[in-house]
Amino acid sequence: MRRVFRLPFGRAGIAREVDDELAFHLEMRTQRLIAAGMTPDAAKLEALRQFGDVDTVRQDCVTMDNERERKMSRANTLGELQQDFVYALRTLRRNAGFTAIIVGALALGIGANTAIFSLIDAVVVRGLPVKDAGRLVAIGDPQRTSSFSQGSPRTDLISAPLYRDIRDHSRSFSGVLASGRPARLDVRIDEKNADAEHPRARYVSGNYFAVLGVPAFAGRVFDGSEDRSAGASPVAVISYAYWTRRFHNDRSAIGRTVVVNDTRITIVGVTPQSFTGEIVGASNDVWLPLSMHDVLHPHQRVLDDRSSSWLLLLGRLTPDATLAQAQQELTPFITRTIVANAPGSAGQSFLADKPKMYVSDGARGFSRVRATFQAPLFTLMIGVVLLLCIICANVANLLLARAIARGKEMAVRLALGADRGRLVRQLLTESVVLAMAGAATGLLLAWWGSHALLVLASGGSAIPLDLSLDLRVMAFTLVVSFFAVVLFGLAPAVRASRVELASTMRAGAQSVAGSALGNRGQRAPLGKLLIAGQVALSVVLLVGAAMLVRSLRNVQSVDVGLDRDHLLILGVDVNARGYSGARLSNLAHTLRDRIAVIPGVAAVAFSENGIFSGTESATTIEVPGFVARTPNDTSIAFDQVSPDYVRGIGARLIQGRDLATSDEGHPSRVAVVNQSLAQFYFPGENAVGKYLHVQDSVAIQIVGVIADTRDHQGTLQSEPSRRAYFSYVHADTVIGSPGSLRVEIRANGDPSALVQQVRATVKSIDPTLPIDGVDPLTKLMQQSIQEERLVAKLASAFGVLALVLASIGLYGVMTYAITRRTGEIGLRVALGAQQLDVVRMVLFDALRLVGIGMAVGLPLALASTRLLRTQLHGVGAVDPASIGAAMVVLMASAVVAVLLPAMRASKVSPIVALRAE
Amino acid sequence: MLDRDGGLLRGTLDVLILKALSWGPRHGYAVAEWIKVITDGDVLVEEGPLYTALHRLEKNGWLTAEWGYSENNRKAKYYQLSRSGRQELREEMSSWERYARAIGKALAAASPLTA
Repeated sequence: MRRVFRLPFGRAGIAREVDDELAFHLEMRTQRLIAAGMTPDAAKLEALRQFGDVDTVRQDCVTMDNERERKMSRANTLGELQQDFVYALRTLRRNAGFTAIIVGALALGIGANTAIFSLIDAVVVRGLPVKDAGRLVAIGDPQRTSSFSQGSPRTDLISAPLYRDIRDHSRSFSGVLASGRPARLDVRIDEKNADAEHPRARYVSGNYFAVLGVPAFAGRVFDGSEDRSAGASPVAVISYAYWTRRFHNDRSAIGRTVVVNDTRITIVGVTPQSFTGEIVGASNDVWLPLSMHDVLHPHQRVLDDRSSSWLLLLGRLTPDATLAQAQQELTPFITRTIVANAPGSAGQSFLADKPKMYVSDGARGFSRVRATFQAPLFTLMIGVVLLLCIICANVANLLLARAIARGKEMAVRLALGADRGRLVRQLLTESVVLAMAGAATGLLLAWWGSHALLVLASGGSAIPLDLSLDLRVMAFTLVVSFFAVVLFGLAPAVRASRVELASTMRAGAQSVAGSALGNRGQRAPLGKLLIAGQVALSVVLLVGAAMLVRSLRNVQSVDVGLDRDHLLILGVDVNARGYSGARLSNLAHTLRDRIAVIPGVAAVAFSENGIFSGTESATTIEVPGFVARTPNDTSIAFDQVSPDYVRGIGARLIQGRDLATSDEGHPSRVAVVNQSLAQFYFPGENAVGKYLHVQDSVAIQIVGVIADTRDHQGTLQSEPSRRAYFSYVHADTVIGSPGSLRVEIRANGDPSALVQQVRATVKSIDPTLPIDGVDPLTKLMQQSIQEERLVAKLASAFGVLALVLASIGLYGVMTYAITRRTGEIGLRVALGAQQLDVVRMVLFDALRLVGIGMAVGLPLALASTRLLRTQLHGVGAVDPASIGAAMVVLMASAVVAVLLPAMRASKVSPIVALRAE
Repeated sequence: MLDRDGGLLRGTLDVLILKALSWGPRHGYAVAEWIKVITDGDVLVEEGPLYTALHRLEKNGWLTAEWGYSENNRKAKYYQLSRSGRQELREEMSSWERYARAIGKALAAASPLTA
């Protein structure tokens, strides 16, 4: 028997083989019968008869062969996969340095993506760790987690009486809980201990834990009985973390009595470790019954006060209710209840303002950090995705270079009969192994990075966020890695397998290199395309980073209208010690007078809200002759301030006079206003001498106009609001007596040098008065733009990284291209080209590449920086300065990256070069 | 012996094919001829089912197949016993012998057994 090779290929091949086999049989049989004496026709018929049902047999054979084929190819694929994997590991181990570089780069890219994503996951996506969080509905503005508002009724914060109305009358909920932050809580775990601590605490309704479905880890949680009568439940539940921190997980902590604001409170239980409260990004330590509030804060009674809005609510929907139903039910109910209980004409003005209703999905709880960091996080996400793309392009280039070096190996394998698909698969397996190693390292990097970012973002003390790598984050990393493999692995693999057999075998690696990096005939070699792509992406990142940095500069250098370098701000908690009315005025005056005599103090002023304090007052006014177009037109911000306040804070008086000591004590009759207010209500006129009415009060005369100040959170980034300054000490009830006290100290020199003396002065006046802070204005300003600084910093870091990566890539490709052209360059030199000509030629080559990248990147950058719009201040959507800066930096780095190989090329000796050819 | 699909005939045919190939590679026609001659045409009434059986045995891994040239220089598919096919043949042979002995004994019995 001689053998023939025939490999069945596909279904058609199988059927053909079966036909051939059966035909052979029938023919043999026919010949045998003819030999036995039959006529050919009769023999054919007899052979068919003896065979039986040809079609059925044929069908059965084909079916069975197909099954066999499938079985074999399955086994083959598995075997090949395993083989590829082992081979990939061996190859990568052999090139340990190369592997380490690639894994490192990928880990950086994947890790950065995972880190940002896990932050987004924790802040924006993830639901509360409570039972069936999807059925919760938030009532109130979810980002106002620690606000307190005194005055007109509101809908973004809920007063205690309004909470009870909602709880008792809503039909959409099986339960509604309330939660609010206390003003100040002094906790003494040991009664003898003089130093109080200030754990994060919240007042919650008795049904809080029941509505959330959170059981006690130890002891018990509130059972609802706490709400029945005010002041009758001196109990507290503490968090697992606080239990660990302060009681070392000691069971005897339960039942223990601690002193909270001079009242004895018994700890009754500990919550499970996974539960840190309903506020994302601010884990809670202590829960106190809402009904205990007025006992613990006797100077601030809120339980029956409809003008104190400070609670946020979470309702659990009944099984058949929906969010939409709850909204439909609550919106009219809240409006009706507020109007029915509002004093005087407040109900009418409440309706006139058309208040926004806050009834929304509560699955993700409340969060201030969510509102603050959502946009910056998405910006950073775009940044890291771009960075990963650049890294992938770089890795692709490295793999490509190596694929070229392995050209001979590929050619040999092809010649030995491996098919190209198999080669691609094998190279891709290497990429998958690389990506997986990168992803694993990246996950570690991400875990570390996201925690580091949190610390950076919160300025020292970490925002408590659950950053555990959950399934969602893992899945994200997997998807990212998969795309990375496709991005960096596919093109080099396909290119590498496309070697030209004959030429490679003949000429060795040289011509393989040619085919991969571009023959003379090929106009866009892959390596160069990748470089242009990297440049394009770098343009996007750099322009974005430059815009953010410029915006930050604008914010930092904005004219705040204050003596920014010399102000020291002191905050004291007058509520905690029950200061109000005349006692508060006395305290304010004493503080001012005593601080004013400290050497180095130029001026002292005091105010209710003051500067970067986080509190702000607002009211509606009427101005004779002014017609409001929108409800917003009548609202202004105001502060109640001391005499000489304008001088005290170093503001610029434009017209009229400062407030004076003679203005104190009377019903407020005079006010200083800022320029925004003056121009809004009295355009083109002199506002001094004009009148305004606060609600229905007597006319208040404007005595002075000052330049706008930017002295509150957010005002550095936006237009200042209309503001009026009334006297701190007055006999008017319409404006409301000041409830807090801040002292502004203007120093001759460095304000931080005065901190110790100011503290000592406060202690000498009232040793028990808690000091909230003594901070230079510059520090408060920096704190108020923390997110902007962080985002600008990180974006710049990504931009620099992108620049370095693109430069390295450019250097690599140009060095390689020059090595390939050694012969040509040598020839040119031999023919009389000068060194400078060679350098120019190489530079031109490289810069053309960079130019193409820029041309592609610029429109991309213009399109994508539009997404930054909301985060930019004083920087237009198209910012020529940023674009110019990015271009110059990129060009300069490109020149530096290329100069070295260009110089080397220019020193090529024609003899050496020609011999090499 | 006239059970057409499966059962007795199938088992018989399978073991005969394995036996036919025990001396070396053969194509389907040669296997058919051998079986016809050796059994006086009693087993293989029609030749078609032989091919179904060959392909089934190949699928089971007892046979391997290869294309080669026949005596009269024509392309033909040659079958060969694989290692597991040889093993299968040994097992089948011994079970057939046991079976045949048992049936033979039963049919040769002279008297009814009493309990």
